[in-house]
Amino acid sequence: MSKPVLEIQTLSFSYKPDKLCLDNVNIKIEEGEKVSILGPSGCGKSTLLRLIAGFEKPQKGIIKLDDQEVFAENKFLPPHKRNVGLVVQEKALFPHLSIAENIGFGVRKSPHKKVIVNELLELFRIEDLKSKYPHEISGGEQQRVAFARSMAPSPKFLMLDEPFSALDEKLKETLYNDLLEIFLKKNFSVLLVTHDENEAKIMTDKQIKILDGRLS
Amino acid sequence: MNNFSLWKFSPLAVLLIFTAPLAIVLSSLFGQYTENWSHLYEFVLLDYVSSSFFLVIGVTVIVLIVGTLTAWIVTNYNFFGKGFFEWALILPLAIPPYILAYTFTGLFDTYGDANNLVRSLFNLDDRVTVFPNIRNIYGAIIVFGFTLYPYVYLVCRSAFINQSKSMKEAGKLLGLNESQVFFRLGIPLIRPALIGGLMLVIMETLSDFGAVDHFAVQTFTTGIFRTWYGLYDIQTAMQLASLLLITVGVFYMIERNSRSGIYSSSNSTFSPNYEIQLKGTKSSLAFLICFTPIFIGFLLPIIELILWAFEVNLAFFSKKFIENSLNTIGLSILTGLICAFLALFINFSVRLEPKSVIKRMSSLLSIGYAVPGLILAVGMVQLLIYLDSFTTKIDIVLTGSLVGLVTAYVIKTYALANSSIESGYERISFSIDDSSKLLGSNGWSMLSRIHAPLLKTSILTSVLLVMSDVVKELPATLILRPFNFETLAVSTYIYASEERMLQAAAPAIAIVLVGLIPIILLSKMIRSSRMVQKNV
Repeated sequence: MSKPVLEIQTLSFSYKPDKLCLDNVNIKIEEGEKVSILGPSGCGKSTLLRLIAGFEKPQKGIIKLDDQEVFAENKFLPPHKRNVGLVVQEKALFPHLSIAENIGFGVRKSPHKKVIVNELLELFRIEDLKSKYPHEISGGEQQRVAFARSMAPSPKFLMLDEPFSALDEKLKETLYNDLLEIFLKKNFSVLLVTHDENEAKIMTDKQIKILDGRLS
Repeated sequence: MNNFSLWKFSPLAVLLIFTAPLAIVLSSLFGQYTENWSHLYEFVLLDYVSSSFFLVIGVTVIVLIVGTLTAWIVTNYNFFGKGFFEWALILPLAIPPYILAYTFTGLFDTYGDANNLVRSLFNLDDRVTVFPNIRNIYGAIIVFGFTLYPYVYLVCRSAFINQSKSMKEAGKLLGLNESQVFFRLGIPLIRPALIGGLMLVIMETLSDFGAVDHFAVQTFTTGIFRTWYGLYDIQTAMQLASLLLITVGVFYMIERNSRSGIYSSSNSTFSPNYEIQLKGTKSSLAFLICFTPIFIGFLLPIIELILWAFEVNLAFFSKKFIENSLNTIGLSILTGLICAFLALFINFSVRLEPKSVIKRMSSLLSIGYAVPGLILAVGMVQLLIYLDSFTTKIDIVLTGSLVGLVTAYVIKTYALANSSIESGYERISFSIDDSSKLLGSNGWSMLSRIHAPLLKTSILTSVLLVMSDVVKELPATLILRPFNFETLAVSTYIYASEERMLQAAAPAIAIVLVGLIPIILLSKMIRSSRMVQKNV
């Protein structure tokens, strides 16, 4: 049995004291495994990703990444030390940096920065765009850059928050295929959050449903 | 100290510095009351209150009529020159009231240019005075009314643009004519915005020193100045300043509260405004109504200043003028940079912890804008005297140094820098921050690598806005400047108080030119809002 990349135990979180947003959540994702969380808007699925990334602090529970506690009672590791990747629907590319600079941002101190950036440009077939700026490329291309940027620091696993919902069907299909190939090649573990059951089935091995902050 | 505690601690330290002079002024209310206070209380305090009240009422009437009427006309009607008037109506904001007061004196005094012109045109006797004496409270009302009406114009225009076309159509179907639509629908719906704009006008009127001093109108600010420099009684001056500060504080609170009550038509039934084409007499009338305030508040003083400048045949371009210009530019750039840095730093702190107490502190930091420069100067002098009791031990004397002056400028103009950077931050998505954090860029790294480059324009705008305000600031500069140190505003004031109007022209023109910077920025925004309106 391979070791877990992500392990969440009895996690609870609320934005307001009287209403739980996530209630007693338990998840385990193993190396290379791809899992999706399905649910309607406002059910707490994006919040779960924010808790794993370290943008919010849970009220209760334990979060382990690569067998190391990143959140527990009296323990909190800030986002930049967790080594996880996140791709969101709005891409969040840095508008003042070129495509190559965006991709290389997370490895800016690495001596291998150039090699990493070129490899990802090639992998995502966006070599021609490297000197362009985010506003000069299409939405589909921007999403490829967002994926490439999140993979540059070789994160322990990737979190995807509805990354395909702003794309048309044709673009989605091409990107699904390319990504599955890349995930397999790089042996990435993936946690995808989506409301689209079909997408969840195509992209992941295991689907978990979430409703009112509880997993089923 | 780790990064995050630095972000939390620094805004608190800034808040303490910003509020210290005000706290010192207010604390005087609990101190001793001298004989001068009794004298003021018995003989002149009522005059200060009544003339300030009369001044405020008069200015209110002018700005309400001019501001709302011009805003209504340019928003709802299409006529010759409409595109020009939309932005030109804010031009008088570039003229500080004291400069308008000086030029009006030069124009309308018994032997002023306007009286001379009419006498020579109609061949009248030298003793005939056509225009009445302007050096009184009525003159002050006109000066404030025509330099400050753009505050009301700006808020009204923006509120009128957001009023739905269908709402007005419904009013007309229910029997209202054009003027009834204005009075019964247009005005009541923008009342909160109107009150906000009016409060700004009142605060500016009560804060002014230069214009009321020139017109010899007895208000709180002239009273504070005379008590301090005439009676050499800073304690009583601070007590007077406290009363004014409390009054201004009340108007400040009303202005803040009025913002929350602004009605919005942005719902599903909203349909954008439409313009009625005016022709013939109606078009000329609209033109005249819009042109008059620009003529009185901008063109007339500019023409007079240029004439004065020509009369001295470039003699103003002396070593002293260049020296004063450099002093002014140096001070304004330094203040602009400090304000922009502080605003960037504090907004970043708020950004890191949006739910924290820092956010509430941050809005308190803007209060300095509402505080009259004179009060700030009084409080700052006392603060510096107190600090000197420590710093003189290490041979540093702060009183009479540029430190106090620049600090007062920063407190007074921080709100301008903050509003620009705050609105810049509103355009940066929080997901950018999330990505940056996950990619190992946090704290200083995020600020310098991501936020600062994205906020380039906002930072530049904030520096320019602060600079233009510092150049105009008179009372704080007059009191806090080092010995023999002059700025353009101070030299304009000195020349004007010595009745050397021709010499006052050059520094006044320089002040107006710098004052045009925010006007150009604002007019760009107005023009772009018109394009958006047309594209809806």
